[in-house]
Amino acid sequence: MSAMTPSTGTMTRRPRWLTVVGVLGVVAMGFTVWLGLWVTPPDEFQGNLARLLYIHPAIATVALYWVGLVAAGGSLLYLWPRTRSLFWDRLAAASVEVGAVFAALTLVTGALWGRPVWGVWWTWDARLTSTALLLLLEIGYLALRRVPAEPAIRARRCAVAALLIAIDIPIVHFSVDWWNTLHQGGTFIDPGFQIHASPSMSWTFLLGFIAFSLLFVWLLGVRYQVEVLQDAVGDQELEVSLSERWSEDTELVGAGAGTGTGTGTGVGAPVPSPGGDAP
Amino acid sequence: MSYVDAGYSIALATLFVYAVSLILRRRRWEKALQMSEPGVEPEGAPAHGDPS
Repeated sequence: MSAMTPSTGTMTRRPRWLTVVGVLGVVAMGFTVWLGLWVTPPDEFQGNLARLLYIHPAIATVALYWVGLVAAGGSLLYLWPRTRSLFWDRLAAASVEVGAVFAALTLVTGALWGRPVWGVWWTWDARLTSTALLLLLEIGYLALRRVPAEPAIRARRCAVAALLIAIDIPIVHFSVDWWNTLHQGGTFIDPGFQIHASPSMSWTFLLGFIAFSLLFVWLLGVRYQVEVLQDAVGDQELEVSLSERWSEDTELVGAGAGTGTGTGTGVGAPVPSPGGDAP
Repeated sequence: MSYVDAGYSIALATLFVYAVSLILRRRRWEKALQMSEPGVEPEGAPAHGDPS
């Protein structure tokens, strides 16, 4: 399936692989929910609350690492003269918008787990605060993107902003090591990659990562298509405005030539100038 | 509703709503692109050369 505009040659494809990724993501998500809510046993210490950990770390991984990789990578590749292309700019922009949704979900699901376990919805902990800062910076990026400018200027400005946002990502990651935080470090997988959970819990945890990653890819793909279409409409409108302006100018020149010489061309009637009908 | 149910519901509902909004946005911009094509008349409008 594709939507095509022959006169401009702009084509916004809907690739089949994207549909496949979306379907796989939905199926994987269905299995994650089924395993997470009904199949896996309650945790020895946290009881049923541990079921939130099948989704919260997976959402946070997307919000932090996948989004950071695409946004910072795309922005760098745009700024690099040899790889400069609006493709990278659009990909980074799409990634930041999807990332803002995942960052918000990270904070919400974390709060829902923290309230019964820590006793608070929110605390000014380094991990929580740096994640909230990430969300605010992403919203700022999206606001910056809406500031009217030529595509190249907007792309350069947004690429720089995305790289500044990316500075927050290692801060979020290492916050639990650099500061004494309420948020725990890695508890599911230790530094030696030893997993501390039953097999069913481990598989559900892994499946959650796969499901949210697939959904991220699908959302990124669709959001990218929206970005391409927006730019194509902008280009098209600019082209129409310019051609209208050009035809107006041509008519005015023709009318001026006709009235100035008094001879005319003999083809049609002279075009009156705007406001030129007054006696 | 438990914290777990709330967490799953909010996460899935948010992603679902966002996905639907993206699909609608894509459809709207596709239509806008078709409308902005030179020579493409809006739906319901008489075609060029039709007697009015």
